[in-house]
Amino acid sequence: MPWIKKLHTDAGDEPVRIPPKAKGRIHGGGDDTTTGSFPVVRRKPGHVLDARFSRVKVLTSLLVAFLTALLGFGYMVQVNNTKSSYEGLSEEELVRLLDETSTQVDKLEERKSQLSQQLSSIKSSADKQQEAARIAQQNEQSSGILAGHLPAKGKGVTITIDESGDRIDAATMFTVIEELRNAGAEVIACNDVRVVTSTYVKDTKQGIDLDGSKLHSPYEFNAIGDPDALQNAVQIAGGVGSRIKVQFHASVSVQQSNSVKIDQIRLPQHYQYAQTVE
Amino acid sequence: MAAILGLIVGVIAGIFLQPDIPVALQPYLPIMVVAALDALLGAARSYFERSFSDRVFVISFFSNVITATLLVFLGNQLGVGSQLSTAVIVVLGIRIFSNVSSLRRFIFKG
Repeated sequence: MPWIKKLHTDAGDEPVRIPPKAKGRIHGGGDDTTTGSFPVVRRKPGHVLDARFSRVKVLTSLLVAFLTALLGFGYMVQVNNTKSSYEGLSEEELVRLLDETSTQVDKLEERKSQLSQQLSSIKSSADKQQEAARIAQQNEQSSGILAGHLPAKGKGVTITIDESGDRIDAATMFTVIEELRNAGAEVIACNDVRVVTSTYVKDTKQGIDLDGSKLHSPYEFNAIGDPDALQNAVQIAGGVGSRIKVQFHASVSVQQSNSVKIDQIRLPQHYQYAQTVE
Repeated sequence: MAAILGLIVGVIAGIFLQPDIPVALQPYLPIMVVAALDALLGAARSYFERSFSDRVFVISFFSNVITATLLVFLGNQLGVGSQLSTAVIVVLGIRIFSNVSSLRRFIFKG
């Protein structure tokens, strides 16, 4: 500093005066904070770092952290809440949502009525099936009797034909059966054979073949039905009974009975071609 | 530093906990969040202005949140809750914008 030396040389006894350093911060350095928009605030004079003060500072930092944590927490909670609630939706969106919901409700109602209809139809059909099963059970007996699957008993007649001379031919036998049927016989049996709808009678050299089994005299017909009608059917004047007597010289006796028992049964037939119509 | 840490911790806690908000609090929570955000941005601005004070931040945080909540509560009582909450949001939004623009000017010097 030449001027200091000069001063020194000019006034030898005067003490050298060094210009005081500029107080405050030096501008233009790397720490410049001038922006034009903020008033530059000087850094506060450094506090004395005693234990009490640093504890307070830690505490306030913790408080600040806690508050910002609260903010972040509230933010995330609200974000999650907005996703699941309708509060932030616009009117159009709400209307659309309402529309969709009511459409869905309609669909569900429709589906519900369909299902309940199905349920009721299933229920009624179950009832029907039960009813059908009951009727079938009822029918089973009568059909079984009719088809010859079940033994039967009841009022009826017993007709005994004892041939003494000529052999009775199949046509006459068949006429006897037909007359009994016409007279309302419900169940007919001849010797060991249950007479059903498919029963056939034919002549063979050994005798009469009834449903594949040979008939031998005396022929004993058991028939369940109105006893008087059955008796009349056989013994009517000029009927099959008198014809047998006249033509074949056989004796025909008809006995009414209150309990004709027919034990002969016909095993169920397995139909090969016929099928029931559903 | 403490503020950023706290923010991160709070967000993570919010993501993982996912609590159910009480129904009574539901209309106020968004307002509270916005008010707290305003306080946080004001604190950031004052931090850059080197006039940040813990005490001022804490007080402004609480006063912001409580004032906003009370305003909305008052609006609900008077039957203008949604309008008043909109007003609060607008005012806070303006403040947030001015704070952000101050920060921007500070950071980018322009």
